[in-house]
Amino acid sequence: MTAAGGALIAIESVAKRYVTSSGPVDALDNVSLSVAEGEFCTLIGPSGCGKSTLLGMLGGLVSPDRGRLLVAGGPVTGPDPRRVATVFQDAGLFPWRTALENVEFGLELQGVPAERRRRRAGELLGPLGLGGFAERYPRELSGGMKQRVAIGRALAIDAKILLMDEPFGALDEQTRVLMGEWLLDIWRRTRKTVIFVTHSLHEALFLSTRVAVMTARPGRIKSVLELTMEYPRSMESPEMVALRAKLWSEMREESLRAMQ
Amino acid sequence: MKVALLRLGLLAALLAVWELAGRAANPLLAVPPSAVVPALRDLLLLRSYPRLPASLWLTVREIGVAYALAVAAGLGCGFALGMNRLLGRAWGPMIAALYAVPAVVWYPSLMLFFGLDAASKIAFGFLLGFFPITLAVLAGVRQVNPHLVLVARAYGAGVVVVFFRVMLPSMLFTLVGGLRTGLALSVIGVVVGEILGSKDGMGALINHAYGLLRTGDYVALVLVTLLLVVGSDVLASGLERRARRWSE
Ligand SMILES: Nc1ncnc2c1ncn2[C@@H]1O[C@H](COP(=O)(O)OP(=O)(O)OP(=O)(O)O)[C@@H](O)[C@H]1O
Ligand SMILES: [Mg+2]
Repeated sequence: MTAAGGALIAIESVAKRYVTSSGPVDALDNVSLSVAEGEFCTLIGPSGCGKSTLLGMLGGLVSPDRGRLLVAGGPVTGPDPRRVATVFQDAGLFPWRTALENVEFGLELQGVPAERRRRRAGELLGPLGLGGFAERYPRELSGGMKQRVAIGRALAIDAKILLMDEPFGALDEQTRVLMGEWLLDIWRRTRKTVIFVTHSLHEALFLSTRVAVMTARPGRIKSVLELTMEYPRSMESPEMVALRAKLWSEMREESLRAMQ
Repeated sequence: MKVALLRLGLLAALLAVWELAGRAANPLLAVPPSAVVPALRDLLLLRSYPRLPASLWLTVREIGVAYALAVAAGLGCGFALGMNRLLGRAWGPMIAALYAVPAVVWYPSLMLFFGLDAASKIAFGFLLGFFPITLAVLAGVRQVNPHLVLVARAYGAGVVVVFFRVMLPSMLFTLVGGLRTGLALSVIGVVVGEILGSKDGMGALINHAYGLLRTGDYVALVLVTLLLVVGSDVLASGLERRARRWSE
């Protein structure tokens, strides 16, 4: 699976503890995972197990207390938008920018000329179902639309690695399925490396080449499932049904632990 | 349209009350609007106070300097306190408390220190304008959503870009409001300073007319000064509206 002889992303025994006014919180404990170029790797696990924290580390926004993270062989020392683009859990749009201007943001910071970045952003809005909403401000958009603008903003900078933190969390079931198909299409055409966080078993099984199940806090990697089925996948095949049952039981265990 | 009519109505009513009261009272102490018109004409034709243009220009310059200093110091202090959590916690409340002190109490010492010339007026206008600007910056910095700062950093923004692309737009409305209040107070500071004691400027002319009981001239001078204040506020509110449209 490895393209160039090594993993594109290597997470080596990282740990993270947040110190808050009400005491320390161990978010991650000894997480190791490596992701090869072109993979679609999904993180799934109970709420609060540190998935967003892990993505934050990969994006260079959170530093680990122990362990290290390598991207393309080099340690992550800070945000690197030429290589890594992030879709945040809550869209994080700039309220004073229109949908189009939000999508343009990353290109603007990279110094892409106005006309070119406008064209590029405009091309992205159509497939995101935002064709008629380019000039709208975030407060005029629904939750799902905002999330799609955030996806557009990440895709616009065309980084090799795409970190997506529950990007479809705010969408209705049908749109979610459509957006999943659309993302699959993009991923297969561009061969980006995607790290994707979701709570949806369906999404994980439908999209991923690999699913990493995380334990309840402090988060660790509980198990990793390799999915080798062809795309587009049928959710009804016996293989899929068996995988689904397996994934469900692992997650159930952790979710129960997280609730205690 | 209705708003304009209502405004005109109020103005007319006020003028009528003023006229009636002015005619009834001692003409040395009060003047009806009908008596102000000739005084205003004499003033504008530079018959009563030939010094008017020079005085007006001096006052405008004092306001300009006082406001420029207030903006520079207010932005500087505001951002320094806003960005530094410890300093902000320690000194922010003290600034808010000082703002609540009636500023006129400082004026005698300013005059002792800076003398009767422009410097003490500028210092007073500065003092009045400084506080609302500083406090607006402090409040504005607190409005910035830290998550958006994180998002911007993820897309490659450094300190400078975060400041101009995230912080300024987030706080723009509050900031411009503070700048507007600061301007109004700087104008008040300079004019009040001139009235309380000076050799030149609009306040000195007002003082002169008032002291000699030239009540018509006095009112005419006040009207000209009022024009200055209203003019600066109209300018500022225009800027505020533009900022609001841009930041929303
Ligand atoms: N900045 C922070 N300061 C303090 N604690 C934090 C911070 N960020 C996260 N945490 C804590 O760390 C733990 C992991 O948080 P994280 O957001 O990574 O979880 P998550 O797996 O993404 O959860 P969810 O599925 O609900 O999004 C949580 O207990 C959270 O309260
Ligand atoms: Mg999360």
